[in-house]
Amino acid sequence: MTLLEALDKDLVKVPLTAADGRGAVEELVSLYAGKVGLPAKERDDMLSLVMDREKLGSTAMENGIAIPHARIEGLKASAVVIGISRLPIPFGGKEGTRIFFLVLAPAENPTEHIQILSSIARVCSSDLFVRMLQGAKTKDDVFQLFFD
Amino acid sequence: MNGLPYSSILVYLDGSEGSMNASMYAILLAKASKARLHAVYVVNTKALGELVRSHIFVDQEQAEYLADLQKDAARHIRHIERIAASKDVEVTASVLSGSPHKEVISYIKQHGIDLLVLGSVNAIRSRRDELTSENDRMLRTSPCPVLVVRDSDDLWAQFEEV
Repeated sequence: MTLLEALDKDLVKVPLTAADGRGAVEELVSLYAGKVGLPAKERDDMLSLVMDREKLGSTAMENGIAIPHARIEGLKASAVVIGISRLPIPFGGKEGTRIFFLVLAPAENPTEHIQILSSIARVCSSDLFVRMLQGAKTKDDVFQLFFD
Repeated sequence: MNGLPYSSILVYLDGSEGSMNASMYAILLAKASKARLHAVYVVNTKALGELVRSHIFVDQEQAEYLADLQKDAARHIRHIERIAASKDVEVTASVLSGSPHKEVISYIKQHGIDLLVLGSVNAIRSRRDELTSENDRMLRTSPCPVLVVRDSDDLWAQFEEV
């Protein structure tokens, strides 16, 4: 599965309402949990996995983007959840983070996880793309940027 | 060339279901055309390095993923060796590391491969080059003809019958 195949308009949130990093990740995990009907316990476990990974080192990049991620045992398919905040949120980077890509991947498929993460990193290395993403006002705007 | 359409066939393995289908097809093709069969799995160390440089991976994570990718590679190599043997086809299987499309193209040139077999190639859904998959890059840059194997339930039955 590629990044484009993993993207789902229902898994885009604009704007995020959280004021801190954990809250932003929680919004994204909850969006995913709601979409796939995940019980509260599994949603909380997922959030803990993602935040435990962040404790090893922030996934915030230099351009206001963070890519929190986790490999989940038993997950059927990779998922990418995108959130855009109007204001920068402290997430461990030099500057605040406005764009979050939460990447959830089956533990059994490391190749796919790496492909998706590196596609996000590559596409976000374009300053123009990042500016357009920051300016997106709706989930349709976000989707359009990838499928243009 | 040996007078038959192909003398050296390479199938690219990436652990996906598509590449498993491609493996079966390549084995059948090698058997029918009496061609030598090669299989390559590329551990994508280029992407791993990029992920560390961009702070998406920490060093510990890079080491874990590298070990997992190497295990994944070994598993898929064993799989193709086993199913090829079941059809009396010899396969030269290799695990390489680096950028998948570059390593595959280099392998094709070094080993005189005259057909590359790939699993499914994605429909073009974006014009952004950064989102082009490794299979797409191989398809576009291969110096030899490329055969793309579509996902099909019939392939399993066909493989069992031969």
